[in-house]
Amino acid sequence: MLDFIQSVTDGVLFGATYALIGIGFTLVFGVMHKINMAYAAASIGGAYAGLLVLKVTAAAPPSLVFLGAFVAGGAIGYFVYLTCFHFIPLASPLATLMSTVGMLLLIDEIIVHATDGMPQNYPAMFDDVMLRAGELTMRGDLLLVFAISVLCMIGLLALLYRTRLGLATRAVSQQAVAAQLCGIRVGRVNATTFVITGLLGGIAGALIGASVGTLSPLLTTPLTVKGLIVTVIGGLGSIPGAIVAGLLVGGFENVLQQFRGVTERDLYVMLLLFAFLIFRPGGIFAPGSGRD
Amino acid sequence: MDFYFGLAQLIGVHTLLGLSAYIVLLTGQVSLAQAGFFAIGAYCAGMLTVLAGWPIVPALGASALAGAVTACAVGFPALRVKGLMLVIATLAFGEGVRLFFFNFDYQIAKGDIKVGPLGGEGFRQIRYFPEHGWSTLEVMLFVWAFVAASMALLWWFDRSRYGAALRAVGEDELAAQSVGLNLTAVKVSAMTVGGAIAGIGGGLYAHYTTHIEHSSFNILVATFAIAYPIVGGLRNVFGTLAAVVFVQAFLVEGLRDLGDWRNLLFGALIVLAMNLRPQGFLGRRRRA
Amino acid sequence: MLELKGVSRHFGGVRAVDGLDLEVRAGEIVGLIGPNGSGKSTTVNLITGLFPPSSGSIRFLGNDLATLPTHKRLQSGIARTFQNIRLFGQLTVWQNLWVAQNSPEDRARRGFFSRWLGGQSGVREEIGKLLEFSGLAGREDELAANLAFGEQRRLELARALATRPKLLLLDEPAAGMNAEEIAALDERIRLLRARGITVLLIEHHMELVMAVTDRVVVLNFGQKIAEGPPAAIQADPVVRKAYLGGEA
Repeated sequence: MLDFIQSVTDGVLFGATYALIGIGFTLVFGVMHKINMAYAAASIGGAYAGLLVLKVTAAAPPSLVFLGAFVAGGAIGYFVYLTCFHFIPLASPLATLMSTVGMLLLIDEIIVHATDGMPQNYPAMFDDVMLRAGELTMRGDLLLVFAISVLCMIGLLALLYRTRLGLATRAVSQQAVAAQLCGIRVGRVNATTFVITGLLGGIAGALIGASVGTLSPLLTTPLTVKGLIVTVIGGLGSIPGAIVAGLLVGGFENVLQQFRGVTERDLYVMLLLFAFLIFRPGGIFAPGSGRD
Repeated sequence: MDFYFGLAQLIGVHTLLGLSAYIVLLTGQVSLAQAGFFAIGAYCAGMLTVLAGWPIVPALGASALAGAVTACAVGFPALRVKGLMLVIATLAFGEGVRLFFFNFDYQIAKGDIKVGPLGGEGFRQIRYFPEHGWSTLEVMLFVWAFVAASMALLWWFDRSRYGAALRAVGEDELAAQSVGLNLTAVKVSAMTVGGAIAGIGGGLYAHYTTHIEHSSFNILVATFAIAYPIVGGLRNVFGTLAAVVFVQAFLVEGLRDLGDWRNLLFGALIVLAMNLRPQGFLGRRRRA
Repeated sequence: MLELKGVSRHFGGVRAVDGLDLEVRAGEIVGLIGPNGSGKSTTVNLITGLFPPSSGSIRFLGNDLATLPTHKRLQSGIARTFQNIRLFGQLTVWQNLWVAQNSPEDRARRGFFSRWLGGQSGVREEIGKLLEFSGLAGREDELAANLAFGEQRRLELARALATRPKLLLLDEPAAGMNAEEIAALDERIRLLRARGITVLLIEHHMELVMAVTDRVVVLNFGQKIAEGPPAAIQADPVVRKAYLGGEA
């Protein structure tokens, strides 16, 4: 039983990164009604870019690397926006989908080329710290991952609900044409959404690298799939949904890994998705069915 | 010359993959599951010829059936899932199939070696063609016989009322229902036909490469499957064929000299193509 | 022919249709009018089965429609046009009509295989007649999206007719038309009646409603507030109040 709770705890702490990735997918969907398939890859890309800080100063503290990943993520996010969303007409959703997939492949390959396919070590903070809560041990680095993720989520929610930019973003997500007629620069809101989700993604990538210890391009595919699963389970377009679902998937996955091994673990996460699709296709926070 | 025959085999099999996505895309369903049906067809045909000694044509028939049945089973829950959620669900399904084969062992002894799928190692020694003395040319013609048949079938559909119904559903489900079309029947039937074509493609693939493994059926393959009809345009089947030739012949093989860089170029070229011509090579530009 | 009894439909707190009793008898042309938001389109959607009523029953030719999904209701003799034209823009004029031939009569005429995968020759005559009726003869191979607005409206009507309806629901067919086009529409609706089709006309253009209908039903806030011959409705103070507000 203790093992179970320990697994869940570790999983939930790590699941905060899935929540961030899920938020990124769901926010872009909410605002532009399109999926940015390249998002998880871009996040890992941002994390790699953070490592460039170490190239400049070999003795840089991990926090600087994380900061580098954060900034790089934002930059990559803007780049993805320009190449995949800005120029493609709204009437061609398939074209957007394909171009984000193309971008996913491109980012993957760039990473492989830049690192010669070798996994890169990632700096961690507090990885030798262990906190005890009764019988449970919590890894310091996982707690930090959780704390930083929570901070990011709070920051995002504050941005969305307490600033004019956030208001404009919410307006565009509900009625893009009307928002435009009110003088909101939709293109700018969209680009900003990508930058913000990019920033979140960069941090998420860095946190994943920090808790796993290494970064490898093999991470992008499973992260894309898991991120999308989190988005769907949480409800497309719902940020609270993505948060809850991310933690849920993180905990679920870790428990299954503990008891059934790594190879079967991903199959079960898949089954969790299918269960939701059959019984609750709208996700956890399914919006009520409104007027047709 | 053998190199070109080999390339033609690859193009043929990828065309089948693209065609399986084409018919599903017509109904407005973006399915990343085609690689999964392809995988099921591959393992099915391989196991039948290697482990059960079946001749190739019945084995391909069985793989078509396996692909069709699985696709039909996927088609029904797919109805409940709209738009982009379907993309995610089919992506997850495809990954699930891949993971299944990653864990799948079924070996029997033949003489003093063991044959059959072995989890992560894959399924080696699918040697039906060499064992029966098929030349590369003969294999290529065999593959293309199926490609031609599939293209002819889909071309026929496109000119028939069924094809118009597929596209009507893809364009406007509400209007389609309101003229008496049964959405379930149209969408699931398209998915089933797509599954059958993918199954045959997979079976052929297994036999000409002689070695398949779970990573041969990953997200990249699922992406190729829908990339072909999207990049080629949904106007007719030749668009898909053109896209396959473009991608495989020019991009992948033609850029062979660029070595590792061609994968990079592939991604970049898709992004570029979609920005420059969002309706695809042979597609009609939609009136704004 | 069509009977709605106590039909209501709620969307959250909004009562889009509230306890509606509506009857359409065979051979009639009935008008359904009311201010915007009065529940006219919702009523049409309920009849075609887009969503179920929250309460009440809908019967067509004596059969309760509750268990029938939309496409089956369509096949049983109810057809509709849309307020915002919903043609299959990427299909040709011919294909738009062809794809709608889903009535029991059409299904009886040709076998499954020939109906879905057969060529065009078997239905050339039928579709030709529809094209004549809507003035689109010779335009079969044009994409529906490339037709002019008036032509698209006529095509949508022809497509509804391709389903061989006994009852036709016209949802604001005169929207966006000029006087000349409305006169032609008036003519066509009368021709439909001559062919034995019953019509339920949802409209805002009062002249058309007054000219062509036998009976008018007025809705406001989802409820029926008046019913009677056009002239009586025109003079009815309750109706006036609903449209103009305040004292009649």
